[in-house]
Amino acid sequence: MSADMNRQMSHQSEASSMGSDCDSSEDLDEDTEKFYYIDTTDDLDLDCPSKTDDPEYFEYEPLQLIDAERMMNEEIEALCMKLKVNPSTAKMLLLRHNWKKEEIIDNYQRDPSGFLVDTHLASRRKHDNLVGQRPVCSVCCSEYARDRFVGVACGHMFCRDCWDMHFQTQIRDGVTTGIECMAKECPVLVTEDFVYKVLSDSKLRDKYSKFSFNDLIKSHPKLRFCPGADCSVIIKAKELKAKKVECHSCKITFCFKCGLSYHAPTECDVIKRWLTKCEDDSETANYISAHTKDCPKCHVCIEKNGGCNHMQCPECKYDFCWMCLGDWKSHGSEYYECSRYKENPNIANESVHVQAREALKKYLFYYERWENHAKSLQLEETTTSKITARIQEKVMNNQGTWIDWQYLLKAAALLKKCRYTLQYTYPYAYYLDNRKDLFEYQQAQLEAEVENLSWKVERAEITDRGELENQMDVAEKRRLTLLKDFLEV
Amino acid sequence: MSNIAEQRIKREFKEVVKSDEVALCNIKVELVNDSLTELRGEIAGPPDTAYEGGKFKLQIKIPETYPFNPPEVKFVTKIWHPNISSVTGAICLDILKDQWAAAMTLRTVLLSLQALLAAAEPDDPQDAVVAHQYKENFDIFERTARHWTTAYAGGPKRDTELEEKIVSMKNMGFDEHMARVALSTKDWDITRAAEYLIS
Repeated sequence: MSADMNRQMSHQSEASSMGSDCDSSEDLDEDTEKFYYIDTTDDLDLDCPSKTDDPEYFEYEPLQLIDAERMMNEEIEALCMKLKVNPSTAKMLLLRHNWKKEEIIDNYQRDPSGFLVDTHLASRRKHDNLVGQRPVCSVCCSEYARDRFVGVACGHMFCRDCWDMHFQTQIRDGVTTGIECMAKECPVLVTEDFVYKVLSDSKLRDKYSKFSFNDLIKSHPKLRFCPGADCSVIIKAKELKAKKVECHSCKITFCFKCGLSYHAPTECDVIKRWLTKCEDDSETANYISAHTKDCPKCHVCIEKNGGCNHMQCPECKYDFCWMCLGDWKSHGSEYYECSRYKENPNIANESVHVQAREALKKYLFYYERWENHAKSLQLEETTTSKITARIQEKVMNNQGTWIDWQYLLKAAALLKKCRYTLQYTYPYAYYLDNRKDLFEYQQAQLEAEVENLSWKVERAEITDRGELENQMDVAEKRRLTLLKDFLEV
Repeated sequence: MSNIAEQRIKREFKEVVKSDEVALCNIKVELVNDSLTELRGEIAGPPDTAYEGGKFKLQIKIPETYPFNPPEVKFVTKIWHPNISSVTGAICLDILKDQWAAAMTLRTVLLSLQALLAAAEPDDPQDAVVAHQYKENFDIFERTARHWTTAYAGGPKRDTELEEKIVSMKNMGFDEHMARVALSTKDWDITRAAEYLIS
């Protein structure tokens, strides 16, 4: 219901604004200005959503390594000044407490030594394990002069060579900011100034600095490495939220919170569960969901070669739905029920075996739809390249300019975006308990409009531009309504 | 073998041999060959436990990077314990993994293993079957562990009821050790143990 209301409301408001513009515009200059203004708002601005009405709005910026380093160094310096501690200690405090400055300052000022002990940067009592003029190092069992012995905050002293070997072994195992003292049951951490003072191998020094930088970024709630392969961009955001980030360098889209592919409206832990489940069960599902289906009327074998689920049999011209193989005519927006899983109402009384089958059936239902949209998304890529080729052909034949046909590419981009969200509604629906009816209603609405859009985009030649743009608007509104109602903000 | 490792092992060897625990026959370390990379250890089962009176042999391998990495230790003597594999003898103990510190010695490792026998940690199991029995049916666990101590580690207390069950499984044609494993796994129920071995 709410989706429909929204749609009507927005249409009304647009109509009224149009009307008022026509009424008030007397002179030409103002008219063109207004026209220009209306044009940009009608234009669905895909890349820069505005804060007020877009549930996917998220502020972030890409940083290079050096910028991220500078930013963190500033925070470290500020803490040094405030607490009067050395930079290595400040760095470790920030790393261990996820950069919560206020909390660190509060705790430190309340009880400096206690806080350092809790953070494993000091020990309750200062140890002294050296005996005589030429003590024995308890790690290598060699005798040395006292000045060969060094140590960290806990006071456990070992010879330089042993510390060096200890660091080498740890760094080779990938441990850097977590290196501890060598004494038995001593959890005191080794700070970087001490590592740099002792570590002799220059290659391992580089490795140490690289790994500990990674640890710093990982502990920082506002910074995240782009998960793209070989991409060194770091994304900085104002807050740690499960929002969409697109890397400007490698073009990958991911969730800022968990680093997986963007997954609205599904939450981070739910999508992880879903993906693990799919990995476990994919063989069965693959087997069951074949790539071809028979026409329900004339039974000719049909391969799906486009993203649209509204199929037309090339033989008998029967219009049907790829998902349910039912008549497409029954897929008007009110009756679109293909996205809704109908549970067996008598399930509680059935045997364990039947229940297991029912569970598998339910999973397969959602998996098939999830897979289908993923495949459709890949096929939409072909649609985009086809459109680009057609536009070039038209421009060469003097049928309008390149700019005139841009709306086709925009339609294809929007279609991809809607289908992407639609794909991720299925894991959400699989694990959904509350408000299931409303969600499935909105999902069905979106599904119907996306298929309409897909149908029209594939037949853009014979579709009127106004009609296509109207369809784009409706589909995007459905998508935003669903996200607004169900995306946890 | 690196110099540090060699020097350390020689020194530790002396330390263990001279220690009070050796005097009380509680722990022991022996050389297997001249290389110092492999040693044989032995610990006595702690008093007032199911392992009392048993002598448990250990295989100790010293890595090249010792003492900066822990020694690799496993039980050679078969043992029924939640944190030790009843099949391979592999041990789940933090100081043999990430909680190792370079200043620890073979003596501390052996004493820690002895402490592990006295206080199992079933929530961090190596052998899931044993850990399950430990938590669900402690009496049967203790009886089983004591029986294994007698059968494999020279423990003094014989449990005739359990031994008879093993004999009757042997009479069915099963190997003695396999019969013991199956009966232990199936809480000493002969029918279920036989089914377990057949399937």
